[in-house]
Amino acid sequence: MALIEINNLVKVFDKQTVLAGVNLSLVEGDVKVVMGPSGCGKSTLLRCLNRLIEPTSGTIIFRGEDITKPEVDVRALRQSIGFVFQQFALYRHLTVLENVTLALRKIRGMSRSEAKEKALHELSRLDMAIHCDKYPSQISGGQKQRVALARALAMDPAVVVFDEPTSALDPIMSREVAMLIKNLHRDNVTIMCVTHDLLLGRYLSERVAFLDHGIIKAEDTFENLCNNHSDPQIRSFFEREASTS
Amino acid sequence: MSFLDIVLQLIQGVNYTVLVTLTCSATGLVVGLIVVGLRRLSFPGLRFLLDSFTYIFRAIPVLVLLFMVYFGLPMSGLKVPPLLAMALSLGLIAGAYIAEVFRGALDLVDASEIIAAQSMGMSRLQILISIEFPQMIRFAFPGMVNEFTTVLKYSPFAYTVGIPEITKQAMNLASTTMRGIEIYFAVGILYFVIYRIFLAGLQLLERHYRVPGLEPK
Ligand SMILES: Nc1ncnc2c1ncn2[C@@H]1O[C@H](COP(=O)(O)OP(=O)(O)OP(=O)(O)O)[C@@H](O)[C@H]1O
Ligand SMILES: [Mg+2]
Repeated sequence: MALIEINNLVKVFDKQTVLAGVNLSLVEGDVKVVMGPSGCGKSTLLRCLNRLIEPTSGTIIFRGEDITKPEVDVRALRQSIGFVFQQFALYRHLTVLENVTLALRKIRGMSRSEAKEKALHELSRLDMAIHCDKYPSQISGGQKQRVALARALAMDPAVVVFDEPTSALDPIMSREVAMLIKNLHRDNVTIMCVTHDLLLGRYLSERVAFLDHGIIKAEDTFENLCNNHSDPQIRSFFEREASTS
Repeated sequence: MSFLDIVLQLIQGVNYTVLVTLTCSATGLVVGLIVVGLRRLSFPGLRFLLDSFTYIFRAIPVLVLLFMVYFGLPMSGLKVPPLLAMALSLGLIAGAYIAEVFRGALDLVDASEIIAAQSMGMSRLQILISIEFPQMIRFAFPGMVNEFTTVLKYSPFAYTVGIPEITKQAMNLASTTMRGIEIYFAVGILYFVIYRIFLAGLQLLERHYRVPGLEPK
């Protein structure tokens, strides 16, 4: 059974239909890559998953429960979905360690020392424990993304969602982060990753879902989408990306 | 009577000046936090009230409000002690100004950090207290120091409600000794010293809580 099943998801902002009936499912332990042109609604789709954005219609079944229903405990839902953002979004006034411990203490109610132990465990998995006393402005972009990942993982989420995790990074750091996500997958973490970065997409998964004009236009292997797909627009999207990367 | 005697006499008012300044600054700080915090949690309707408060209280002269509180309220049966009257006038006006300083500083908090915290499952109040306020206060520091300085400089009004602070001591001395120039020169020096000590204390605090990458511009 799928961990997440998105059925006919629609989101209309004012009069603009951003999601026009998205269908997508994600099996536990899998990695799902979603690609598509800028502004096609990728971030909107992800934000519907944890109700940062309220979908207009459709259902999202998460662990057997429709989480679009009004009575759902949104804060509990958010705790089980780890989010990693393009711009890292580390809390600038807190050290690396405190970035990870904050939610453990405020939400999980852990003591200072419990939270510290858990945080150091997650940070050392990502080779960031030695930087635990630094502030976000004192570490590199790739390191920031590691901290953001550690912060998400510390909450033991059922799925980790990445919104363009490499697009603020240079190519070398992008590769590094791609490897981290891949390792996560090997550790059986369920992953959903939205990206422009074809290199990242290919590296994470053989298959990709293509989101355009508010629907999943195709879901297939990179090879098929690039070479054999009947829609020339889709072919050119993947060819163009392939030639620039 | 030597100049030193004058200074020693005036120093008896220093405690009161410091007390009034600290009380009114603390009131201003708390009021500023409450106003900006409630505004941020934006209960509809409340926002209008809060904005009206800052709009009106920034426009009232301190002395007028002080008289309204200290001489006006007793007419409706409410006797207000002098220090409380200072807090309710100078303190509230400082609060209105500090709320404006905070409002500007709050805009500097990165929206993406707030979204990240929401995505972790934190409540609006938790985000306000753990993320927005700590950053806001750091950004607002120069503006806050300005307001505290203004409070110090308005503290002489306390003599009008019978608090024997420095200026009051000076007036007493001047009326008995007729050495006004020396006396007010000494008063000036005392305020200068208090101001420098306050500032040094605040700068120490600022340095202690300073975070690389979040320095106020
Ligand atoms: N809160 C909002 N209110 C109104 N319109 C919005 C809002 N959020 C997003 N949109 C619109 O929805 C569309 C899709 O935005 P979204 O951020 O989901 O795209 P995206 O695929 O993530 O783009 P990018 O690749 O540039 O990140 C855009 O046209 C945007 O203007
Ligand atoms: Mg986006």
